[in-house]
This record gives sequence, structure tokens and C-alpha cells, in this order.
Amino acid sequence: MSSTSAEQVPASDGDGSEGRRSFLKRLSAFGALISAGLVSFPVLRAIFPPTARRLKGGNWVKVADDTALLDIGVPIRVNFVQSVDDAWIESRTLNGVWLYTEDGEKFKAYNGHCTHLGCSYFYDKDRKDFFCPCHRGQFDVKTGKVLDGPPPRPLDELEVQVRDASVFVNYKDFRLGVPERIEA
Amino acid sequence: MSRVGRWIDERIDLTGIRRSLLDRPVSQNLTWWHTLGSATLAVFLVQVVTGIVLGMYYSPSPDHAYESIRYLERAVVSGATVRGMHHWGASAMVVLVFAHMIRVFTMGAYKYPREINWLLGVALLFIVLGFGFTGYLLPWDQKAYWATAVGTNIAGTTPFIGAKLVTLLRGGSQQGAATLTRFYSLHVLLLPVLLVIIVGLHLFLVIRQGVAPRTAELETNAPKRTSDSGYPAYYRTREHESKTGGYRFWPDIIAKDVITGTMVIAILAILGRFVGAGLEAPADPTDSSYVPLPEWYFRPFFQLLKLVPGSWESAIAVGLPMALVVVLLLLPFFDKRSTRSITKRPAAATILGGIIISMAVRLGASMRDQPKNAVAPEVGRILTSTERAGRTQFERQQCGGCHKLAGMAAVPKKEDAPDAPELTEVGLRHSTAWLHSYLEDPVRFHPDSKMPAYGPPTLSHQEIEELSRYLSSLRGLPALNKQPEFRDTFPEPLKAKETK
Repeated sequence: MSSTSAEQVPASDGDGSEGRRSFLKRLSAFGALISAGLVSFPVLRAIFPPTARRLKGGNWVKVADDTALLDIGVPIRVNFVQSVDDAWIESRTLNGVWLYTEDGEKFKAYNGHCTHLGCSYFYDKDRKDFFCPCHRGQFDVKTGKVLDGPPPRPLDELEVQVRDASVFVNYKDFRLGVPERIEA
Repeated sequence: MSRVGRWIDERIDLTGIRRSLLDRPVSQNLTWWHTLGSATLAVFLVQVVTGIVLGMYYSPSPDHAYESIRYLERAVVSGATVRGMHHWGASAMVVLVFAHMIRVFTMGAYKYPREINWLLGVALLFIVLGFGFTGYLLPWDQKAYWATAVGTNIAGTTPFIGAKLVTLLRGGSQQGAATLTRFYSLHVLLLPVLLVIIVGLHLFLVIRQGVAPRTAELETNAPKRTSDSGYPAYYRTREHESKTGGYRFWPDIIAKDVITGTMVIAILAILGRFVGAGLEAPADPTDSSYVPLPEWYFRPFFQLLKLVPGSWESAIAVGLPMALVVVLLLLPFFDKRSTRSITKRPAAATILGGIIISMAVRLGASMRDQPKNAVAPEVGRILTSTERAGRTQFERQQCGGCHKLAGMAAVPKKEDAPDAPELTEVGLRHSTAWLHSYLEDPVRFHPDSKMPAYGPPTLSHQEIEELSRYLSSLRGLPALNKQPEFRDTFPEPLKAKETK
């Protein structure tokens, strides 16, 4: 068994002149860089998930069959199940909107998630406002404005259309916890 | 050295590590063949990195494995490239490990004092083959499913323990969900841990023992056998002399290693990007017509089984790999003559040459022997029973004699066979109804068509319908995911009939 300690390195460096040596060092670094680049380019691109396809023309959901059946001045929560592309499987998600009308003709719809951290909020019948139980956020029913608590922006209002007495909502989700309204 | 560097150095002696690791003197004139081991290591690192990405998108369940791979191939940016690199990396590992072993064998580097490292190397060879075998199943396409069925059946022919062994491999009596999770676990948990540990020991010994001096330096005036009492002293002197040239591991050796490694990685990147890994139709356990083939590096062995009579099968299928293991393990303990150069070891040269040539011949035979008439369903889904009946009809009527179809080996062409359109994407262009009418009487559509009419009495309407359904399922290679755009034009008489 040979021992390999630095003391055995002879003083004369044979062919190993300093110039050759530093060339080899730079060559190694260059090769290593190319190798790392060749591997990391596709790898870094692949770890970013593909962006979900946006539905053309919006995601219109029928939330009420007959406007005449909706209470005036009392919001109602409508839940609906949608099939969504979940990477390589198709799964179903439950989403909800709060629907509100003062005259039975014009409707307001709010995304069912609190703008703070996405909890489902509910209608507080006594105080007549929306209340989020997670961190005590409160919103105005008529405008969606924040009345109290940590939510950074008003409730996310959604587009509404009334066709043949049915109410349709263009359902979208928005980024949570930020003051700006940015589509998620 | 920076202040932080000095602070760390005072505590854990980085200088000492550098001296014994990077500055260690090495034998001069090491060849390019000496870079094969480090190239294997480089490819292994590629496999680790690309494998982690594959793991992010892979679902090890028969319900979703195929879909998740297809998602990676189609939806993920560069996903196909990453998978392609992993796929070709597996082949590169096998090639490089074998080449490295041949290098060590021909230079007699497994002899004193490197017997232990040879044993570790043999273990690594079989771990790499284990990676190949377990990884092949994971995409859960036809090829994966049926090749693994055959592979595990071979293990089942082992005398006495065969039945137990095959259940153990499959995680049940039948190949299925439990087999997939089992192979997945072996591929991403057990084998990587084993490989890392043994590679660590392998490298530790390389650093501890140094690379073997060139053969000539260990042959002049050498004692006859490595077991002779004078040999260790002789070896030490010679080895010391070989290292006096002033060559050091860094950068003299590493520069060479990096060059080889970079070239190999560049080849992998090109193959991964431009050839890719391929994905057949999803595994269909009810499809008895599929002829499976193992990955190319198992083919010589697979081909060998065709040559032996059934009663010898288990002896060859199980005995040969076992014998190989035993021979490789015992090699450094039996072969104690001190001659190292392959040119001075005629017996070793003959055996090695014989093995390489016979493996190459059998690999070639296996390539030529590609099963004929195997029509691959190209839809990226499992065929319905009607479509499958149509596919049988396609083979029986020898449609492939004139028409080309991707994924199907060409049927020997008839002498006067006219050139006919390729059918790989016929289902994208024409509806089932159109295909049905066309098959009945092609001349009605194209007056100078050379295609025979298949309407009754040649085929019944039922059979034509089956054939049309099958043709309609041909919508290009699964990876392309094209949508059909029918361009059906019917000849006049039929149109008139329809308007009535």
C-alpha cells in the first residue's frame, strides 16, 4: 500500500509547468460550466409547472335559475362543482359565490373566498355584513368594502349577466393577501 | 485565503484535505481510457438531477403513471428533454460501466492490491442493471408492461425458489399496481442509496490506493505471481517511481476527466432533446398480440434464450447470470499471475473477445429479429375490442404490404406492390364513415386507384367497419397530440343518394 502525502511531490515539476497547469485548470472550469449548463437548462425550465390554460370567453357559471326566487336585500351563497384540469388528472373543485340584489334586477356577485387568506366567509344576519371567521375580517354587503379586520382589499366582485331570468357569473379567482386585484 | 476560509481551515484543516485529495501525485501518462470511471460518475449525477425532476411529475400508480408521463412529455416545458436525457443516461451508464470494467480487465488493474475495489465495481455493475430493469416499467406503456412481465417470468424459472422469487419481485402473483410501486421504491429509494454508498467506497479506495501504474511499469522484473512474498515490496517501489513525474490529480487528471464527462453529457443532451425517450400506447394487460422486447442491453441475453431448448431454459436464464456473478467475483482471487497487459494474457484476451463478439452478434441478431407484423396502436389509449378486431384484419389483409405505418415493422413487400399513402395519421384526415365507404370500393373515389375493393365478398360489412374503426384510431404518434380535421369528400353518386 502506497502512502500519498504531499512530502513525496518532487521539487521539479517535470512537464507540469505553471502555464500548462493554469491552462488545464481553466479548461476544467470551462468544461464543468458547459456540463452544468447543458443539464441545468432543461432541468430548470422543467421544474416550473406549465401555466394553466385560460378558458376562452370566460368561465360563465349559472348560479340561479329564476331571479324571482331570490330574496331582496339578503345575500345568498351559491356553491357549484366544476371539473378542472389538475395536471394529469381531471378533478372536481367546489367553488362558491355570494349573490346579492336590492331590486331583483341588478345583481352583485362576490367570489366566495375572503381576500385575506382565502377562507370561506359567511353572512352575519345580526350585523348584516359578511364575516370571515378565520381572522375576523368584515365586509360590507352592498359594496364588498372592508369594514374591519386584516383583509387587504374589498371582496372580489365578479361579472354578472342575467339571461332569460337566469343569473350567470363569470367565476374567477384572484391572488390572496395582496392589496391589488390580480387574476390568479 | 479569505478570513472566513482561514477561520474554517483552522478548525477542520481544509489545506490537509486539499493536499491529500487534489494535490496527490499521480502516475504519468494515464490514458483516455482512465476517464471512463469518472464519466460514469458524471452520468450518474445527470441521472440524479433529471430523476428528481421526473419524480416531481410522476405518479406511481397504474391509474396515473402513463398519464403523468404523457403530461410531462406534452405539457411541461423541456419535460420531454429531461426524460430523454434520463432515458439515454441509463444506456450511457450501462455502456460506460461495461467499458470501464473492460478497461480495468485489460490493464489487469483488478490484481493486487485492488481486489476489493474490483468486487465493489462488480456490485455497481449489477446495481446499474437493476436500475435499468426497474426503471423500464415505470412509464407503464405497452413496452414497459410486457418486457417486465417477461423479465419477471425469467426469474420465475429459477429452480426451487422460482415461484417465491417471482411473487417477491411482483409484490403479488400477478403483475399490477403492487409491482409498479415496488419497482418505483427500488428505483428511487433502495438502489440510489446502495449505489451512493458503494460508489463512495469505490472512490475512497481510488484515492487511498491511487490509480494503477501503466502495465509496462509493473511487468519488468516482476515476481511471477502477485501472491509471491516479494511482490508487495516490488509493487510499492514501482508505484512510487511511477508517481515521480510531478503530475498531480488536480488539474492533470481532472482536466482529462472533465473533457470526457462534458462530451458524454453533450451527447446525452443532444439525444435527449432531439431523439427523446418515446412513449408507446398505455399498458394493456388484455392485449395478447403485443410482442415485448427488453431494453437493448438485455437483448443479447434475451436473444440467447431463443437458441436453447425449453428444458435448458432455466439453466441458461438463471444459471448464466449466476455464473457470470461468480466468475467476476472470483476473478481477482484466481488470477494471480503478475502479468497485466492483455497482450501478454492470451487466455484472458480470448475469453473477453469471445464474450464481446458473441454479445454483439446476439444483439445484432435481436435487432434483425424485431417481431414482424406487430401493429402498435398509436392512439395513446387502449383500443376497444372492435378496433382490436380491425387491427387483426389489418394484419390479415396485409395492409402493411403497401401502406406504411409508424411503429409497425414493414411487411415484406410484394413484387408489384404500388406505393400507397402512409396511414400513421389517417384517422386525423378521415372519419370512420368515409373510411368505411372508401374500403368498400376505392375506385369510386379515385378512378385510377390501385387499391383492391374490400367490399363483400372479400370482407363482410362487419369486418370493414372494424377495420375502419381501427384506421380511425390512427391519429399520429401519441406524443404529438393532434386533433382530427376531417377532409372527407364523397364521390357524386353517394352525395346524390344522401340528399334524397
